[in-house]
Amino acid sequence: MGEDDVTLRVDSISKSFDDFAAVDDLSFNVRAGRIFGFLGPNGAGKTTTIRMIVGITIPDSGEIELFGKRINGTDQDHIGYLPEERGLYKKTKVIDQLRYFAALKNIPQSEADRRIDRWLGRMELSEWKNKKTTDLSKGMQQKIQFIATVLHDPDLLILDEPFSGLDPVNVEFMIDVLSEFRQTNKTVIFSTHLMETAERLCHDILLINKGKKVISGSLRKVKESYGRNRVAVRVDGANDLLNNVSGVESIAEKADEKILSMRPDADPQELLRSLVSSGAKVTKFEYVEPTLNDIFIEQIGGAK
Amino acid sequence: MRKFLAVVKHEYRKVVLRWSFLIGTLLFPLLGLGFAVVPALIFSIKGEPTRIVIVDREGKLGPRIRSNLSPEKIAQKQAEALKNTSLEPTVGPKQSTDSLKNLTEGFVFVPFDVNGRTDEQVRYELNSMAAEKKIDAYLIVPKDLSGKFEFLSRKAGDFVASGMLEDAVNDAVRSERLTQANISESTLKQINQKVEIETKAIDEHGREKNSDALLAASFVIGLMIYISLTIYGQVILGAVVEEKETRIAEILFSSARPFELMLGKLVGVGLAGLTQLGIWVTSLALLVGFLMLQTDIAPLLAGAPHITPLMVGYFLLFFLLGYFLFASIFALIGSMVTTVQEGSQFAFPPIMLMLVGFYFSFAVIRDPSSPLSFWVSIAPFWAPITMPVRILAETPPFWQIALSISINAIAICGMVWLCARVYRVGMLMYGKRATLPEVWKWIRER
Repeated sequence: MGEDDVTLRVDSISKSFDDFAAVDDLSFNVRAGRIFGFLGPNGAGKTTTIRMIVGITIPDSGEIELFGKRINGTDQDHIGYLPEERGLYKKTKVIDQLRYFAALKNIPQSEADRRIDRWLGRMELSEWKNKKTTDLSKGMQQKIQFIATVLHDPDLLILDEPFSGLDPVNVEFMIDVLSEFRQTNKTVIFSTHLMETAERLCHDILLINKGKKVISGSLRKVKESYGRNRVAVRVDGANDLLNNVSGVESIAEKADEKILSMRPDADPQELLRSLVSSGAKVTKFEYVEPTLNDIFIEQIGGAK
Repeated sequence: MRKFLAVVKHEYRKVVLRWSFLIGTLLFPLLGLGFAVVPALIFSIKGEPTRIVIVDREGKLGPRIRSNLSPEKIAQKQAEALKNTSLEPTVGPKQSTDSLKNLTEGFVFVPFDVNGRTDEQVRYELNSMAAEKKIDAYLIVPKDLSGKFEFLSRKAGDFVASGMLEDAVNDAVRSERLTQANISESTLKQINQKVEIETKAIDEHGREKNSDALLAASFVIGLMIYISLTIYGQVILGAVVEEKETRIAEILFSSARPFELMLGKLVGVGLAGLTQLGIWVTSLALLVGFLMLQTDIAPLLAGAPHITPLMVGYFLLFFLLGYFLFASIFALIGSMVTTVQEGSQFAFPPIMLMLVGFYFSFAVIRDPSSPLSFWVSIAPFWAPITMPVRILAETPPFWQIALSISINAIAICGMVWLCARVYRVGMLMYGKRATLPEVWKWIRER
């Protein structure tokens, strides 16, 4: 992975409000053509960080580089930002709102009109073009907001909780659109608290808490680093044995199997041997990766 | 710059393309038109001539009344009435009925022979003629002057005709009495001559101006600016709060600098206000032109103040100064609060400030060259209302106008700067209304 692939470089940025450090010495890189999951509990400093990247606020210290250069005002035209708290003008027609948002990104109106028609067609909203926001359902408004975010064909797309309020069909549809984006070597930063979605979509993740980095890296590596000592077991009998075997830290009960977390120094092979020798019937014995949810809970829950 | 223009265009269209703008813009001139033109049009629909029988057994008053009711006499009386009233700025009831008289068709005298009939017979016959619609009215002249006149009419509601008849009868009786007392009509006129006092102001070129009409016009100008400032201040407040409430601000701030966005909003809405004022001023000018062409009303306008294009220019300029001063206050309030309702509560102080300026304009109208008038017409926040009033009432030296413009322009720069500081932080603060110490902190923030 070469240096050229880095779209966004965040270098030890900090931002405080009064005495409260919202973001504290945070550094990370986002690579081109990948979907970057920006995760963390509420109040972790995600929105503050994103606002600094899109140029709404300025970091107290540290630097942000976009496409190899320090960010400046013109970069905003290359970023598409869908905030978590978002809205539309209530009494303005869909077409007029989209034209305005495009104009603010320096897109000439004729070009904007072409793109608006194309996107409305794709989203199956063409007949709502001249309707006002108040006539639209919540899901439709979400789609319009998404169109506003991508109308200027940004190189970096920042989406804060993009799927909230969407029905499953539309979530799938949006995921398709995001994949297309990635394929044109654009970069997507994607913030969510839905770990399952993040797990499905993201190539890289950054987990922050209290303004500080907790974990970062590619999803695979993160999972591998957590996944060595977890085993899924389906076994008849030997319940006592499982509870007493050395090296097992905790047992999570699932519907018809148990997930055993073992101490880093314990050997799962030994566990299997003792299970078999005890005469219990082992129908499943499998190394499992932790889910992102598990990692999240482990990291954030432990920090609390 | 392109983004700034995009904001201006968006805000302008948002205001101008609303129904409320169209209605507000049309309603004002229509109301003016209605008050000025409709009554004239209605009364210009002339009535049928009144067919009247004058029953005069003595034969003394009858001819006098008849001659008093001749079209020439009526026209002459009207000219006099108009002369006496044209200097009054307000259209009083007296004046309106007077000016309406020439709009009726007058009288047709139907001959009727009373010889050999008793009063009862005459009455009976005339009543039946009226019932058959052969005549409209009849007048019975008493045998001596102290007796009662009787006027019976099918159209008792025609106050114009009955008013004219009453005048004619009064004049006739008075003339008859004068003749009996050996006093000629012209002698009486000389004795009765009224002393006339005309109140006029003198402008800076030594020309005379009519002060009553000026007073009215100055008041209208002050009121117009005050109302426009209130309306467009509220428009700004609403627009800012909407972007904050719907969180559009976050998207906007990720696309353009807050200063561009705020200034674009002020300019866009300001242009919309200027458009509306422009339409009003133009339609007012057209209305005055139309009334000038109506020969019936033209003399009434002879005393109207002379408004030059320069004055209109000043008027629009001071509107803009006031608009930017107050709009930046309203934008500041909008970015502090969380809902429109909360915003309206906080709109009270600036509206009070405007109202005080409006009240000061009365002091300016009374004495435009007093020290008080000078100070309030250069003071920031008040000058935009009081200075146009003063310019119309008695144009001050140019240096005072220039001073007023400069002081207010500087105040605008200060207010816009202050507002921009609060706006860029306040627009992203959700949840609760900012306190004043918080706002003070935002202003000083980097």
